[in-house]
Amino acid sequence: MADPRFKKAMEIKYAKEWGSNKCGSTAKSKITDKKTKYLRLGYQQNPRKVEMAKCGAAITKKRGLQAYDPKLHLAGIPMGQRQLTPYVISGTDIVCDGDDLHFVNNAAMQQEWDDIRRTCVVGLDLAHETLEKRLGKEITPETINYYLEVLNHAMPGAAIVQEHMVETHPALVDDCYVKVFTGDETLQDEIDKQFVINIDNEFPANQAKQIKSAMGKTSWQAVHIPTIVTRTEDGPGTSRWMAMQVGMTFISAYHMCAGEAAVGELAFTAKHAGLVEMGDMIPARRARGPNEPGGLSFGHMADIVQTNRKSPEDPVNVVLQTASAATMLYDQIWLGGYMSGGVGFTMYATPAYTNDIVDDFLYWGNDYAAKKYGGNGKAKATLETVKDIATETTLYGLEAYEKYPTTLEDHFGGSQRATVISIAAGGATALATGHSQAGLSAWYLSMYLHKEAHGRLGFYGYDLQDQCGATNVFSIGSDEGCIGECRGANYPNYAMNVGHQGGYTSVVAAAHAGKDAFCVNPLVKTCFADDLVNFDFSDPRGAFGKAALREWDRCAGERAFVIPAK
Amino acid sequence: MAYKPQYYPGSTSVAKNRRKHMSDDVEKMRDISDEDLTALLGHRAPGSDYPSTHPPLAEMGEPDCPVREVVEPTPGAAAGDRIRYAQFSDSMYNAPSVPYWRSYHAAINFRGVDPGTLSGRQVNEMRERDLEEYTKRQAETEMTDWGLAGLRGCTVHGHSLRLQEDGVMFDMLDRRRLEGGVMVMDKDQVGVPIDRKVNLGKPMSESEAAKRTTFYRVDNCAFRSDKEVIEWTQRIWELRTKYGFQPKA
Repeated sequence: MADPRFKKAMEIKYAKEWGSNKCGSTAKSKITDKKTKYLRLGYQQNPRKVEMAKCGAAITKKRGLQAYDPKLHLAGIPMGQRQLTPYVISGTDIVCDGDDLHFVNNAAMQQEWDDIRRTCVVGLDLAHETLEKRLGKEITPETINYYLEVLNHAMPGAAIVQEHMVETHPALVDDCYVKVFTGDETLQDEIDKQFVINIDNEFPANQAKQIKSAMGKTSWQAVHIPTIVTRTEDGPGTSRWMAMQVGMTFISAYHMCAGEAAVGELAFTAKHAGLVEMGDMIPARRARGPNEPGGLSFGHMADIVQTNRKSPEDPVNVVLQTASAATMLYDQIWLGGYMSGGVGFTMYATPAYTNDIVDDFLYWGNDYAAKKYGGNGKAKATLETVKDIATETTLYGLEAYEKYPTTLEDHFGGSQRATVISIAAGGATALATGHSQAGLSAWYLSMYLHKEAHGRLGFYGYDLQDQCGATNVFSIGSDEGCIGECRGANYPNYAMNVGHQGGYTSVVAAAHAGKDAFCVNPLVKTCFADDLVNFDFSDPRGAFGKAALREWDRCAGERAFVIPAK
Repeated sequence: MAYKPQYYPGSTSVAKNRRKHMSDDVEKMRDISDEDLTALLGHRAPGSDYPSTHPPLAEMGEPDCPVREVVEPTPGAAAGDRIRYAQFSDSMYNAPSVPYWRSYHAAINFRGVDPGTLSGRQVNEMRERDLEEYTKRQAETEMTDWGLAGLRGCTVHGHSLRLQEDGVMFDMLDRRRLEGGVMVMDKDQVGVPIDRKVNLGKPMSESEAAKRTTFYRVDNCAFRSDKEVIEWTQRIWELRTKYGFQPKA
């Protein structure tokens, strides 16, 4: 039998020295051992903690007020009573400290969210129709090119109509731009290449065909406002910033009157009528407008991730990369920060992108299903299929934790284990059936089996979310349920589900991975099919890892240009 | 109050143990004095009066109410005790109990209990004197092996970690440890040192723990081997799924 995919990561983590934790020299070296020696070396065993302690002490001295001091943990019992071990970024050779995966310490994680929040898609066609029919303007590829030239000057915060205006400095907003995409091949060819996301170039041929077919001859603008703006304002600010600059650009580029009533009609059609935001507005009790993570559907999130476009030949990796990007956003930033008011649920998300455990489970589940049902998308979406794949994948995962105590120790919380096994069960089932509801159904059976086997599940037993979840999987009437692609972080039964939302996203992605060009929205998929976007949405894990090593350099929104150098 | 034995599927030793725990058919294995237990809980000083949050119910002049007449208050409720907690962690290496079964045991066999079930811990909240009675039941019987379980109000870390070299479940706060062949505890459940070293008796041997556990493990009693439990779990899932579906005609 082949070694499990997590073997190397477990050996790095538990059988080799990291810092001065003495793993490998005093601890048992086999990853299957059930016993070990706990050395209680404290935080000093870990270089990053030592660096942080030194920094905290310097801050305390400089400002004359207590700052970070790891000795204050538990009234003098610091972390590190067991060995402080590193993390291997799944699917890579990158090894880092856990602290480097906190979103505050990881520039790529921040940029992932910045890039989503600062983005909106806005249609061109309605505006063009208004210009032609109501204002008598002629629209040609040349006028569109000129409009886009002006818009890429204006969108970062430059003036185009008035005199004596202040403007943003280009060095601070160089990540801001607008491109267009269209299903109209003729128009696509006629627009200046610098402004086009060329669907035929960016997608494999079969995916490009699907995208263009879904889009028809419509044309759209992919707008990314400056990161520094979205960090200062909020998600709803994205479309407003876009709208102001788009409106002014139309006025300038098409030589319009700034006060005529017909411009009001253009303003509506150009700014609002064709607007697609990444996240919807959510209820007032959650106090967030559009383009905040709570309103981001799983389908949109799965479409934002671009792994399926770059490497559709490995659909399991598509699911895993989606799980990584989505758990980081939904757990570390949304629930862990925005909603709980806490410092981030990093440890809820790390199992999705570290140490190759979920990779092992999902590849195993996918192999099992593919052998039995003849390949991805070949299995009938029936309860029998769900029962079979979910049960076998769950049993495999549970037994892995029992056979490899280091995996159990790595996923030290039941919430981590429950999500990881359910991602595998739900993902394998969705891959096999091509059906996101079947995948979600498998998720719930996996949770039941897990709870029964180990007599425990996740935080407060995951009683709310995972005991009643099965009853709303196949009901899609209003107020009863919804298709997986359109569920999201604000779906009633999911809104507080820490450790789940990224998993659900991966199940939705699995239903389409390797065969469909998009999960729910071809516009969102195409908008991010662009290497100029700062975060690498085709390889979220790689970006997280490089940033953990402090080697990732695609961040934006920095203020260094206008503050004294240190 | 008399309860009927509880039902749970399965023919394996784990399934049988689960039925025993649910029915409170558990063997007493050690004695822990009331004062020692009070010290471990850390809610009040051993020997002190119970702090109260309201006067005894008999003195409160409660309004006429048929529900009040039907439900006899627990001793703690009648006296007006505070609601306090006891929280246990159980190792996944064959500790006798698991969080859900501690909750089931509490909810089925005791009154006035609010169980909370997590992965690394299980908390019961009750009126203080009721809590002490209940915690004693857990602490003295085969539900708890003090080598593989711990009374931990906070910093519960340990249930999924490899065992120490001496077979004891890791405790970051070192509240209890193996000394002279017995488990001793000299801090309360939140790690505050106490004025005594409480003898919690001998830990179970590996074979005894394997025999008494309610935890399925592939190297002892594999979950896969208990087909009846798996089939019942699948059945519950299927019924819940179909019930929720209800397609409109």
